Amino acid sequence: MVNNTICAISTPIGVGGISIIRMSGNNVRDIANKVFSCSVSVYDVEPRKLYLGTLTTSAFKEKCMMVYFKSPASYTGEDMIEFQCHGGVKLAYGVLEELVNSGARIAEGGEFTKRAFINGKLSLDEAEGVIDIINSESDSEIRAGYSLMQGGLKSGVIELQGKLTDCLAKLEVNMDYPEEDLELETKQDVCRELSEVKDRLVSLNSTSKTGMCIKNGTKLVILGKTNVGKSSLMNALLNYDRAIVTDIQGTTRDTLEETYEYKGIKFSVVDTAGIRNSSDIVENIGIEKSKKAINIADLILFVLDGSSNISVEDREIADLIKDKSNVLVIVNKTDKGVVLDRSIFEGRDVVEISAKNGINIDTLKERIYNLVFDNNITSQSVILTNIRHIKIIQEALDLTNNAISVLNSGVNLDLLSIDIKNIWLKLGEITGESEVEEIINTIFAKFCVGK
Amino acid sequence: MDYDVVVIGSGHAGVEACHATAKMGYKTLLLTLNLDSIAFLACNPSIGGTAKGQLVSEIDALGGLMGIMADRNTIQRRMLNGSKGAAVQSLRAQIDKVTYHTTMKEVLENLPNLDIVQAEASEIIVEDGKVAGVLTAQRIRYNCKACIVATGVYLNSKIIIGDYIKDSGPNGFSNASLLTKSLIDLGFKIKRYKTGTPVRVHSDSIDYSNLEVQKGEDNIQNFSYMTKTPPSNVINCYLTYTNSRTHELILNNLDKAPMYTGLITGEGPRYCPSIETKVVRFADKDRHQLFLEPEAMSTKEIYIQGFSTSMPSDIQRDMVHSLEGLENAHIMRDAYAIEYDAIESTQLYPTLEYKNVSGLFMAGQVNGTSGYEEAGAQGIVAGINAVKYIEGNDMLVLGRDTSYIGVLIDDLVTKESSEPYRMMTSRAEYRLHLRQDNADLRLTEIGREFGLVDDDRYSAYLKRLDNLAKISDILNARCGIKSDLAKIFAEKNEAFPSSGLSYAEALRRPCITIDDLLTILPLLNDYPYQDLKEIEIQEKYSGYLSRQDIQISQAKKSENVKLDPDMDYSQIKGLRIEAQQKLNKIKPLNLGQASRISGVSPADIAVLTVFIKTLKTAK
Repeated sequence: MVNNTICAISTPIGVGGISIIRMSGNNVRDIANKVFSCSVSVYDVEPRKLYLGTLTTSAFKEKCMMVYFKSPASYTGEDMIEFQCHGGVKLAYGVLEELVNSGARIAEGGEFTKRAFINGKLSLDEAEGVIDIINSESDSEIRAGYSLMQGGLKSGVIELQGKLTDCLAKLEVNMDYPEEDLELETKQDVCRELSEVKDRLVSLNSTSKTGMCIKNGTKLVILGKTNVGKSSLMNALLNYDRAIVTDIQGTTRDTLEETYEYKGIKFSVVDTAGIRNSSDIVENIGIEKSKKAINIADLILFVLDGSSNISVEDREIADLIKDKSNVLVIVNKTDKGVVLDRSIFEGRDVVEISAKNGINIDTLKERIYNLVFDNNITSQSVILTNIRHIKIIQEALDLTNNAISVLNSGVNLDLLSIDIKNIWLKLGEITGESEVEEIINTIFAKFCVGK
Repeated sequence: MDYDVVVIGSGHAGVEACHATAKMGYKTLLLTLNLDSIAFLACNPSIGGTAKGQLVSEIDALGGLMGIMADRNTIQRRMLNGSKGAAVQSLRAQIDKVTYHTTMKEVLENLPNLDIVQAEASEIIVEDGKVAGVLTAQRIRYNCKACIVATGVYLNSKIIIGDYIKDSGPNGFSNASLLTKSLIDLGFKIKRYKTGTPVRVHSDSIDYSNLEVQKGEDNIQNFSYMTKTPPSNVINCYLTYTNSRTHELILNNLDKAPMYTGLITGEGPRYCPSIETKVVRFADKDRHQLFLEPEAMSTKEIYIQGFSTSMPSDIQRDMVHSLEGLENAHIMRDAYAIEYDAIESTQLYPTLEYKNVSGLFMAGQVNGTSGYEEAGAQGIVAGINAVKYIEGNDMLVLGRDTSYIGVLIDDLVTKESSEPYRMMTSRAEYRLHLRQDNADLRLTEIGREFGLVDDDRYSAYLKRLDNLAKISDILNARCGIKSDLAKIFAEKNEAFPSSGLSYAEALRRPCITIDDLLTILPLLNDYPYQDLKEIEIQEKYSGYLSRQDIQISQAKKSENVKLDPDMDYSQIKGLRIEAQQKLNKIKPLNLGQASRISGVSPADIAVLTVFIKTLKTAK
C-alpha cells in the first residue's frame, strides 16, 4: 500500500559507529511522537534540521538524533524521518522493533526507492542507478552508477529514440500521403539513420564488458605449471599471505579466489592448481577447475619461471591458451636471473617480476589495469554496468540489424516501420517509456532494504 | 410526438446513426436543416483514401451504409499505396456527389421506423440527468429516450472569403445558430475549429491537353463486401501544379489572407492546409501538386483538390489563372474557409455518450473530427449505442486492435486535441491487423451480435470464412523437391529446401505470389480471387502478425483492468497533480485508456496500479 508507513535500517548492519533508521509515509510523525522526545514537540520540528533527543523503547533509552523531511522534499517524496543512533546490531534492531510496535511496517526490498520512483522523484534508470550505488564496493563502480543516476544513459537513449522517431515519421508520411511519391528518398534517409543508430548501440554495447568488470570485479586467473610462484604472485598482488607458499610442487590443490583494489577497480585473483601430469586425483580435479577458470577470466596471467628453461608443461599450458587474446605473460623469479627462451610468448604482453621480492609489482598492476580497461573509463561518459541495460542494448542492436536487413531486402514500408518501432519500444525499457509492468516489478524485487 | 431516438443532423454521421437505430427496430426521427443536404459531400467529391478507406470498409462490415452507397456512386477508383504493403493499402473513389445525395435520401425515405423532418433543433431537453426530448426552432417538441447530435460544421458556422464574412453553413446552406447554447447549458466546452474548401471551375474552360491524366484502376476490391457488380471507371482526373507565379501571387497578397490577418481564429488541420499555408510553411517547395476532379456526372463542375483558400475572390481568380491548363478557367464557386463550433470530445465516454447526460450521444464533425469517413464511423457507433442505452445492454466499444473506428473513438475521448482530427494509418499501432481486406473478418461478427448485420451479409461472411478455410487446406499440402512448386522456385532462382515445404510456407517467400500458385493448383480457381489474396496476405505477414498478437495480448491486460468512472483521482496520493487533474477530466474506463492520456506518466500508472490492487485487497 502506498500510504503505509515503512521503516528500515539504512546503514550496513553491524558496521560503523552510527546506525541510521529511516521511516517514510504519512504517519512518520505520529510514530516518532510515540518513541522520541526532544526540546520541541515532534509536530513542531523544522524540516531538514537535526534534533538531539531521547528514543525510548521497551528495552532501553537511547540518546539519538532525529531529522524530519517534509513531503514532497524528501527522497521518497513522502514525509520521512531518520533516526541516527549509536552503531550496533542490537540497538538498531531495538529501535526498528519499537517503530514497528508503534505502527510502522518493515520495508520490503527496494521499497523506499520504489516509492521515490512512483512519486516521480526518479526515472526508472535513475532508480536502478541507486541500487548499483548501494551495492557498489569500490570507487569506479560508484562513478559508473553515478553517471547512470545523472541520467547519462537515459539522455543517450532518448537521443536514439529521437532518431528512430525521425525515421518513423518519414516512413509514415509516405504511407499516409502516398500521392507525394517520396519512397526512394525516404528509404535512403532511413537507411542512413538506422546505421547511425546501430553505430551508437555498438559503442554503448562495447562499454558493457568494462561495465561488468567494474560492477562485478575483474577476474584475473593465474595460470602456470607447478612451482613457478603463482601463490607468491597472488600474495604479492593482495599484499598479504593468503596462499600457502612452499617449495613442494602441488601445494595449491584447489583454486583460491581473493580480491584487491587498484585505481578504484575491484580485481579478483583466482589462483589455480599448477598444471602438471599427475596421478594424484585431488590435484587432477584442481587442474580441471583451472581449465574452467581460463574461460571465465577477464585476463589470464600466465606465469613462467624465468630462471629455468621452458618445460613440456609450459608448452602444454601455452597450447591451452593459444587462442586466447586476453593473456599477460609474467616472467617470475627475475631475481634468480632470466634464462628462459622467450619464443614461447612471442607477440604477447610480458612483465618481468620477482613476486617473492616484490619487484615490479606496481608495474604489473598498472599493466593489468590498462589491458582490461583500455582507458575506457575516462573516455566513455556512459558505461553500462547493469545487466538489464546491457541486455536491452544488445537486443536493440539485434533489432536494428534486423531492421537494416529488412530494409535491404526490399520489404514493404508497412513492415519496416514495425521493425523500427520495435527498436524504439525496446529502448523505452531503459527510460521507463514503455509500459511493461513486469520490468518494474523485477527491478524493485532486487532492491535492498532502505536506500 | 414520441420517438425512441432523435438524430440531429443528416450528414454522414447522422445518416449512419439513424439508419442503425431504425434498422435495429427503434422508432427514429431524423431532423435536418435542409432535406437537400442529406449525405451531402460538402468538400471533395471522393470517399476513402489512406486509413479512410479502411474506415469505410469497417462501417460496411458493421452493417452501415457508406460502403454500399460509395460503391454504388463511384465514378472512378484507385488503390493507394499498392507498392507499400497490404496494411496501408486503401481504396479511394471519386464519387458522384449528386447521386450520392439523391440515392441516400431515397434509401432513408424507404427505411421502416424512420421519419425525416426538415427543422432546426434548438434545445435538447434533459430531465433527471437523462435525455427526454428535442425542441425545434418552431417550438415543436419531440420526446425521445436517446438523442444523437450529429450537426457537423453547422453550429454557428461562418463562411470566410477574404474580408467577406457570412453566417452560413457549407455551400450556402443555412447554419444552425440555436443549438450551441443548449449544449453549453448542458455543460459542453465549445471549441472553434476551421476548415476550408477549394474553388469549383467549369470543365469546358480547362485546357487538358498538357495535363497529366490520372486514370482509374480496374479489378480492385470494393468498399462493401455486399457489392456484387464492381463499379467501372467512367471519368478521368487530371494533375496540374502550382508554380512560382502562383506562389508570388499568394505571398504578395498575404495581407489580405484571413488566415494571416487574424480574421480567422479557429484552429485548422495541419494535414489539410490551405494553399497559402502550404506556400508559407514549405517555402522551399517550388510547386504543389493539384488534382482536378469532376464533381458528378450531371455537372461540369470540377473540384481543384489541394487548392483550398480563403483569399479574396479577385485574388482567387488570379491564382487559378496562374495554373497550367486553367489560364482561362471559369470559376463557378469561390473557395472559402469555414469556422464552426465543436465540442470538447474528451467529455464523452468511449461509447460516444456524453458523461453528464445519459442517453445523449455525439457523433461526427461536431466532435472535432474531419472527413466524411470519420463522421460515418462515429455515426454508426452512436446509433448502435443509443439502442443499447435504451435496451439497458452493454454498449459497443471497439478495441484499438480490432478497428480504425476503435482507434478513432479512443483517441477522441482520451487525447485532447487542438485541431480537427483526421484518421491516419500511423495512428493505429496494430495497423497490420487493421487492413481494408479483412475488415469483414474483424467486424462482421460484432455487427451481427449488436444486431445490424442482416442475414444476407452474415451468410456472405460465413461463406467467405468457409472459402478461406478450404483454401488454407489446399495450401497446407506439402511439396517435395520434384513438385511443380520446386520448378517455380527454380525459375525464380529461389532455393527450394531439400526437406520440401507447403504451398502456404512458399507464399511467405517474397518472390512467390498466389498467382504463381494458381498456375499449378487448378483447385484454387473455384474460389474468389479476393479470398485467395486474403490468404496470401495472411501468409506473407504471418511472422509480423503473430509478433503483433503478443503485443496486443500484453496491452489487453491493462485494457482489462477496469476503472470506476466515478473515481476521484485527487484522493490518490502519489499521483502527480497534473495526472490527478487529467484523470479526473477524462475519467478513463480502464487502465489502458488511462495510460494513453497525455500528461499521465508510466509512474502515475504504476501508482494507479498499486492503488487498484489495494482497493481490491481492501474489499
